[in-house]
Amino acid sequence: MVKIGIMSFAHIHANSYAACLNALPGVSLAAIWDDNMARGRKAAKEYKTKFVKDLTDFLASDIDGVIITSENSKHREMVEAAAKARKWILCEKPLAPTMKDAKSIVDTCRKAGVGLGTAFPCRFSTPLVEAKAMLNSGQYGEVYAVSCTNHGQYPGGWFADTALSGGGATMDHTVHVVDLLRWMLGKEFTSVYCELGNQLHGKSLKTDDLGSLHLEMDGGIQVSHLASWSRPKSFPTWGDVTMEFVCEGGLITVDAFNQKLTVFDDGNEEVRWENWGDNADLALIKDFVDAVQSKCDPASTGMDGFCATAVTEAAYKSAKTGKTVKI
Amino acid sequence: MNVAILGCGGMGRLHAQMATNCGLRISYCADAIRKAAKGLADDFNAKAVTDPLKAIQAEDTDIVVITTPTPTHEPLVTAAAEAGKHVFCEKPFCRTSEDCKKAIASAEKAGVTLFVGHVVRYFQEFELMREGIQKGSIGKVGWLKLFRGGIFPGVKGSWFRDYEQSGGVTFDCMIHDLDWIRYVFGEPERIFCQAIMRSEPTSLDYSQVTMRMKSGIIATVINTWAAPSGFKVKAEICGSKGMIQFDSTESPLGAEPRQTGSGPTMFVPMSPVAISPYQLEWQDFIATIGGNHTPRVTPQDGLRAVEMAEAALKSSSTKQAVKL
Repeated sequence: MVKIGIMSFAHIHANSYAACLNALPGVSLAAIWDDNMARGRKAAKEYKTKFVKDLTDFLASDIDGVIITSENSKHREMVEAAAKARKWILCEKPLAPTMKDAKSIVDTCRKAGVGLGTAFPCRFSTPLVEAKAMLNSGQYGEVYAVSCTNHGQYPGGWFADTALSGGGATMDHTVHVVDLLRWMLGKEFTSVYCELGNQLHGKSLKTDDLGSLHLEMDGGIQVSHLASWSRPKSFPTWGDVTMEFVCEGGLITVDAFNQKLTVFDDGNEEVRWENWGDNADLALIKDFVDAVQSKCDPASTGMDGFCATAVTEAAYKSAKTGKTVKI
Repeated sequence: MNVAILGCGGMGRLHAQMATNCGLRISYCADAIRKAAKGLADDFNAKAVTDPLKAIQAEDTDIVVITTPTPTHEPLVTAAAEAGKHVFCEKPFCRTSEDCKKAIASAEKAGVTLFVGHVVRYFQEFELMREGIQKGSIGKVGWLKLFRGGIFPGVKGSWFRDYEQSGGVTFDCMIHDLDWIRYVFGEPERIFCQAIMRSEPTSLDYSQVTMRMKSGIIATVINTWAAPSGFKVKAEICGSKGMIQFDSTESPLGAEPRQTGSGPTMFVPMSPVAISPYQLEWQDFIATIGGNHTPRVTPQDGLRAVEMAEAALKSSSTKQAVKL
């Protein structure tokens, strides 16, 4: 039985990961630690595990690996503590708000000899896996341009507090698509131009709630990406991940979560989409558990997290200077 | 009034029909390709000519419709104005902003009406979006995204495939979106553009633009001439109190004829309205002739749209934002 602990429930994804750990055979959610005790206790009760108040005790226990789902800017200190205790680590994305912190995280784990993964569940989304296979088959020829979106509803709380998040919607919703494109095309990003907006919520947010990015990849592939918290409260789902690949041999379009039912619910006075597709989080967590058992890195590594952070850091720099920034 | 159509392709035919619907008579159909001129002229009981100046200078021509390749617009507008004829010029107004200014000066000097066909301003779905925005039904707008396009137009050897002449999807097609964005959200501050503009082995163009408006609003525009088939338009406008979406693939009518031979059939979506946007555009143009009516699209609007598209192409080659 592989024992996994979760460090912090600050990020909403912790809930999904906890449910996945409970659903998978051969693994247990052994303990929860959280710097917010009330939040940690509540989560421990909900996911039927124990809450450990003291971080030293938590890391001294016989857990094999940890999932870190804290605020972005706390990833570094938590990874350092876990690596020191020689735990395998899956860290929520973005790996860190800055390249400096991301690099430190990668170096720390390498030196400690522990596996490090960045939580990019989209790599396990079945429609995206199929899209990658189509792109790699050669049937569609060279890729010239890609148009992407990763929209969401405003998550609230610390996400719009720069000290904890490092940035707004662009920090939150750029790295998935960046990681997907690196993974699908096997190419790196070379430059980015970015316009940031913060007017979708009546300028009440201190961070950006929209980033409109134009990137270039090796070989001159032109990529546009929209990262936003633009979906209204009344929108039927949380958001989307979409990509349109313009290739010599045709188009490949992805709307990764568009396997849905539309439910008209009078009781709650809402219309919502319910997804019936495969659960990518479950595959992500299984991959991490496998990595813990076989003592290797998960599929999306710390280095992948670092490369994604390099793009967001350059995007924020571009927005500040008004210039295209080399990556 | 009598109308001369210059350029007897698809748009020439469409405007001949709209003018006829408005009670005007088609007098001349001019096209360098005699067969094209004759084909359209026969259908509208008009005279076919290969020399556009002959159609422009004819006594029984009051209005000149220009649906020729973009680089020819300016000389034809000027010739028509000098002959004292009113002008309906298809978008893009001219191939350069300098040419637009020349054309405006010619029309002003001659005292004729000059109209530029930015028809998207007359599309019912775009009008309803504009009304919703102005009523404040989604609060204060912060961002919008427009998508337009489909298959690369024209056959091999067509002027559309010569980027010098057409300017590709950014100049020829996205100019619709750039104009509508300026119409609804005011003047732009700067523009960034990536356009692939490929010719070999296949003519493919795909253009991705972000525009910052003076108001701070961000507009993202994607246009394609890289799709293997079809044509579609999508819009998404986000405000502080909600969002408006439009998708032309969700249509009230569609047809898919059963193929009796081999090969696949294609579903064709349709969205009919009693009065087409092109008809509304013509009504607006006609009301402007000899009256005090200001049309929804002025020649200045046509010029600004060309300036925006020029800036986009400049950005695409310099890979930096261009101030407007």
